[in-house]
Amino acid sequence: MAKNRAQIVYSPQQKTIRGLLWLLLVFMTLVVIFPVAYVILGSFKENQELLLGGSNVFPQKWIIQNYIDAWEQANFAVYTKNSLILSLGVMVLSLIISTMAGYVFSRKNFWGKEIIYGIFTAFMFINVGSVSLRPLYELAVGVNIHTSLWPVVLFSAGGGQATYIFLCRGYVNSVPRELDEAARIDGCTFFQTYYQIILPMLKPVLATIAILSFRQGWNEYIMPRVFTMTNDNLRPLTVGVNMLKNAGDGAAAWNIMFAGATIAIIPILVVFICFSRYFMGGLTAGAVKG
Amino acid sequence: MSTYDKEHLQLRPTNRPPRPVNKKMRLKESGGLAAGLMLTPSLIFLCICSIYPFIWIFRYIGYNYNGFVARPVGFANFTRMFSDTTFWNSVVTTFEYAFWKLIIIIPLALIMAVLLNQKLRGSSFFRGAFFMPTVIATSISGMIFTFIFATQNGILNNILQTVGLMGTPINWLMDQGFAMEAVMILSVWAGFGNYMLYFVTGMTSISEDVYESSRIDGANAVQTFFKITLPMLSPVLKVVLMLAITGAFKDYEAIMVLTNGGPGSRTNVMFLYIFKLIFGTADNARMQIGYGALLSLMAAVIVGAVTIIYNLVAKRLDDVV
Repeated sequence: MAKNRAQIVYSPQQKTIRGLLWLLLVFMTLVVIFPVAYVILGSFKENQELLLGGSNVFPQKWIIQNYIDAWEQANFAVYTKNSLILSLGVMVLSLIISTMAGYVFSRKNFWGKEIIYGIFTAFMFINVGSVSLRPLYELAVGVNIHTSLWPVVLFSAGGGQATYIFLCRGYVNSVPRELDEAARIDGCTFFQTYYQIILPMLKPVLATIAILSFRQGWNEYIMPRVFTMTNDNLRPLTVGVNMLKNAGDGAAAWNIMFAGATIAIIPILVVFICFSRYFMGGLTAGAVKG
Repeated sequence: MSTYDKEHLQLRPTNRPPRPVNKKMRLKESGGLAAGLMLTPSLIFLCICSIYPFIWIFRYIGYNYNGFVARPVGFANFTRMFSDTTFWNSVVTTFEYAFWKLIIIIPLALIMAVLLNQKLRGSSFFRGAFFMPTVIATSISGMIFTFIFATQNGILNNILQTVGLMGTPINWLMDQGFAMEAVMILSVWAGFGNYMLYFVTGMTSISEDVYESSRIDGANAVQTFFKITLPMLSPVLKVVLMLAITGAFKDYEAIMVLTNGGPGSRTNVMFLYIFKLIFGTADNARMQIGYGALLSLMAAVIVGAVTIIYNLVAKRLDDVV
């Protein structure tokens, strides 16, 4: 396709139009990037400068004191640790659960398979909002795990699993069945076939699931907020930063909040920049393309 | 749990069923136990995280439940729902929010996708930049925009004043006339990259030959867009519209952070109102879980009805065109 394009010769008039369109794209990009850049750059400003405002995006004087304060005084070391546990936990769980289930759904025929699959689908469409967090919270209290991050990890992974199972099943469907049969003839058990033959072939979809579930865990807000209502030491970054805002002395702690917000977005931005292919691929994998 | 992740699945066409295998050729089925064990974790999660909460809701819709004591109240929750103006106002607000969001976000995403499809220099960079907001947590974007919209020291007011577009600072988040606009700016910023990407993907599957022949026939850019791109994109457009509609009705995380439904209840969408009922608010810790559960069901029914109506309309349009 790109080749075809290269052959097109543009008239001067078309060139002008294309130049203008390009400028429009540059302008839009600036608008889109601006809020994020503003916060990241703002996190290096002194609180004084932040509170005074002004239309300066770049700090007059660059400082990193905000980060030191956030880390040492505002519990951000703990929040960051929690965010990492949460996102990595959701990622690992999602990878294990969804590949196994996706493989079974793709390869096995058993009684009730369509029904179970239908229930998975149905619950992706039924959305009752935050109310479902209430029974889950009471359940966590009931089995006495509400004083750890475990329930958030488990329920987040459980809530998102359907997406990943579907992605995985679709991908396994495209892997030839002959491979399984060959492995079976060579004496592999069902699990060995999955673990030694199929799993290594799933790398692209594993990467997609890993990244999507990592982001899901990292960005989870309402559930950890509800589950850590009374325990500051379990809060991930998303909740911790927002709690500062609600703390009342809002204006005074702008510099800490800027630094905190930056700590919360930089890791996911780095992951996005490195793996944007998988982010965007995962969104449309087997979807619009068909 | 994020709605975004659930969303994109609906685009997936039904998966190809496993290839039928000739009975004689087939090896004896084995590994039934292993398969069962491998499926168990996800089934347990399905039961705990999806089915159990759903049943739980039905258990409490006839109760007055404050988190400690549940008292049966018969049909009182139902009668209360029908006379609860705050709830119905929040439904209206949800429709208003969804309407404006869709009116802005879909054309914007479409225009940007068309521009990116022109293969201008740096297209993939622009695409990445437009998509970037969607990877940031909605709660954090909400917070970023609280800074930007701040009245006295917010950068938006400062820029508008410097450029001379505005005299006195606007109180974006506390002014009845501007709060919805502020929420809208945030949700369009945070979401349009998502839909743009669907459109871009859809457009890459339109054959280059079609464009070439239209060029030979002398079609200009506008004609090409309306006569070729749009019709050929219509299957994608229909799915994206459905995702966008259901998505817009379910939004509340960013609104919660940005305005928390205020000022008054100007931006109090229904799922936010329900959240406050079920978990209490900062100034009112009184929880009304039974009533909230009933409203949740009502909200789910409303979203479902909108989806069904949309599908009917889309189908009807299909028959006409």
